[in-house]
Amino acid sequence: MASLLNVLLRKSANFGQNTALLKNVPAIYNVNSERKAHRWFPDAEYVKQFEGIVIYPEGFTAMMKHPPYNSVIKPGEKNLRNMILNFGPQHPAAHGVLRLVLELDGETVRAADPHIGLLHRGTEKLIEYKTYTQALPYFDRLDYVSMMCNEQCYSLAVEKLLNIDIPLRAKYIRTLFAEITRILNHIMAVGTHALDVGALTPFFWLFEEREKMMEFYERVSGARMHAAYIRPGGVSLDMPLGLMDDIYEFSSKFAERLDEVEDVLTTNRIWVQRTKDIGVVSAQDALNYGFSGVMLRGSGIKWDLRKTQPYDAYHLVDFDVPIGTNGDCYDRYLCRVEEMRQSLRIIEQCLNQMPPGEVKTDDSKLTPPSREEMKTSMEALIHHFKLFTQGYQVPPGSTYTAIEAPKGEFGVYLVSDGGSKPYRCKIKAPGFAHLAALEKIGKNSMLADIVAIIGTLDVVFGEIDR
Amino acid sequence: MSLAKIFSLSSRVRAAGANTVLVRYASSGKEGQVEKVYPPNIPGYKYVNAVDPIMAFKEMSDRAAQTIFWTELARGFAVTLAHIFKEPATINYPFEKGPLSPRFRGEHALRRYPSGEERCIACKLCEAICPAQAITIEAEERKDGSRRTTRYDIDMTKCIYCGFCQEACPVDAIVEGPNFEFSTETHEELLYNKEKLLSNGDKWESEIASNIRADHLYR
Amino acid sequence: MSLLALDKWAKLVTIISQNGGIFKSIYKLWRFDTLKWNGKLVGTDSLGNKYYENPYYMLGRSRWVEYNDYVRWDYDATQITPEWYGWLHYKTDRLPHEDPAKYCISCCAWYQKWMLPPEENLSGTELAYYPYSTVRQHIQVWDGKSVCSRPTPCVCK
Repeated sequence: MASLLNVLLRKSANFGQNTALLKNVPAIYNVNSERKAHRWFPDAEYVKQFEGIVIYPEGFTAMMKHPPYNSVIKPGEKNLRNMILNFGPQHPAAHGVLRLVLELDGETVRAADPHIGLLHRGTEKLIEYKTYTQALPYFDRLDYVSMMCNEQCYSLAVEKLLNIDIPLRAKYIRTLFAEITRILNHIMAVGTHALDVGALTPFFWLFEEREKMMEFYERVSGARMHAAYIRPGGVSLDMPLGLMDDIYEFSSKFAERLDEVEDVLTTNRIWVQRTKDIGVVSAQDALNYGFSGVMLRGSGIKWDLRKTQPYDAYHLVDFDVPIGTNGDCYDRYLCRVEEMRQSLRIIEQCLNQMPPGEVKTDDSKLTPPSREEMKTSMEALIHHFKLFTQGYQVPPGSTYTAIEAPKGEFGVYLVSDGGSKPYRCKIKAPGFAHLAALEKIGKNSMLADIVAIIGTLDVVFGEIDR
Repeated sequence: MSLAKIFSLSSRVRAAGANTVLVRYASSGKEGQVEKVYPPNIPGYKYVNAVDPIMAFKEMSDRAAQTIFWTELARGFAVTLAHIFKEPATINYPFEKGPLSPRFRGEHALRRYPSGEERCIACKLCEAICPAQAITIEAEERKDGSRRTTRYDIDMTKCIYCGFCQEACPVDAIVEGPNFEFSTETHEELLYNKEKLLSNGDKWESEIASNIRADHLYR
Repeated sequence: MSLLALDKWAKLVTIISQNGGIFKSIYKLWRFDTLKWNGKLVGTDSLGNKYYENPYYMLGRSRWVEYNDYVRWDYDATQITPEWYGWLHYKTDRLPHEDPAKYCISCCAWYQKWMLPPEENLSGTELAYYPYSTVRQHIQVWDGKSVCSRPTPCVCK
């Protein structure tokens, strides 16, 4: 302290003339005047010999002044470059294959440049070479944590082009499983978000529940994830007996699991400090950057396709859409948890209101006949052969059909030229817009907050890279 | 829905930069009366975090006590501790197994009729519908005049297990059986040919038959 | 009793005695990683694996298999026979002999002619399946003889 004072006093003598000190504050700190060794300073006697004229005083040189011996020399400046850090694709918090190039100033992120394409499979192009039936399994594999919602979107698009309506029971089954999928997705989102910022335990509790829902998937379709269950014209099979009872039992207990998670997270100071006021998106920015889903609602914009343009059976069920206020990670977390609770409400209503009846449209030119019919009726067999070789023709036209997928607005722009294969299928993935805004949201935040922001963006690379 | 409705007060508040006060009150026409303006009470929408902390002394001291005494952390720890005493959710895998349903789509198998005659008639519907083009079929006339496959290859590494082949099969020949434990050490072992598929069917017939029987009402 | 958790200790003693004494319990624990309580033996399959059930445990743990002693530590999930597969996977509550579909097959002489015995996953062994073409060669390598001197090809295929 004394040494610092010493330095300051010594150097402040020539503040008036020299601004270099002000520009180089570290120079003040880093001068250490406490030298242990003996040091010779030019004493007055020594300096005296230089006073007056040293070299031959004549004309111009007589006017020269000697600079003071203790003048401060302006330190040279260096060109510094910020550190560039590659975040991912192997980083566990990168949620798959995100390669994020971060420009760091210390621990502050000055630029975040997400690179995509490591999971590109050319789905959109492949779909152009598949019949409408065959294109369906590709949608499971887009956003591979909300499988049935993608199928639902595609099926709705095809149904819109075909201009058909599906039986009410099929609508309810779709709604039921879309909401199960929503919980499935939000479990993954909240669980891994918490995992990324350091809370490992809720992840395990939630994944236990996720396992149960995957069993429902398996019971209804035969596959735990890639269900290929929701088809254009309805759903592929009716739900087996007893499944609704088990879903009810699950949904009646799941709220308790959510309470546990909220007990651990919602008020927890570490969680709050890691998420509150982190990754703030204003409502204006959310709109300008094309956000949808929770990213939009977390910023306080009341927009949910299930409310604003209901599809399937959403107009028949009663639910609230959670809206955030601050647009930070914490509000989005609360939105997700609340959305799971609302999903439970919808599931319960679907179970209670589930009507009897068919699960597929009865147009035999569109949906394959049942096994029994196919084996007993010649006409059905011919339909069966036609449907499984050529598929069905879809009248020419184009549609943009969007649904409220758990991550946001998942849309399919489908163009038909009247054949049995789509002419063009453009997939609008919500995660793409969200990831693109990482540069905007993550700028000037700390490195550790980038992880929290990626967690809250809820990116899945199946849909971003397509 | 009009734009005015989408742009709720919250977005306007944020745009104005006045986001410190969340619950807002405004005086209405009658004097002395205030009503809550934000969050708006709109049916179908629920504001999750739109309450400002109450600044009454009691609430403030409650919050201070929570911060000092770590009550919320203690509750979290208690919840975590409670889970230690619960039954673990893990299963001891090769001895205990998780539930499956009759619809499960696992390893492929080619079935036979009870007489031992293979069911597949080489109609190639499965080859046509396969989205991954994993199935290759070649057919010839057999000596007894019936049409049968000579080649029925499935590249199990291409297969996406969508189940379209078993839906397409008009004679229930190709099925996706219940087995999922067919991992191999090399890639080649997963390029199944007709005999491998038939032998799968011969081994798993009892389980496949009971699955089809269990699910026959829905198919 | 319950305050000192004496019932838990009593249960441990029961488990050990049900598993055949201390040494057998240690051996079982070593092999199976867990000791089960009150398992009811419901059947044995053709490979000698024993199937147990105790609904006291949760779904997923209430049915288990003890692999044949013969395999020792080389147990594998694929050693479970297809007959018992469905029961062990909670697909059905019916034991193999109670399931009509399985029962018919096991009794039918037609089926017995072509059904194969269960087989474990042989990957990594010499017996592992290796793909080959099932199609008869349409083009043969010329054996150096003229067409006239070649014996007539077999038409048994």
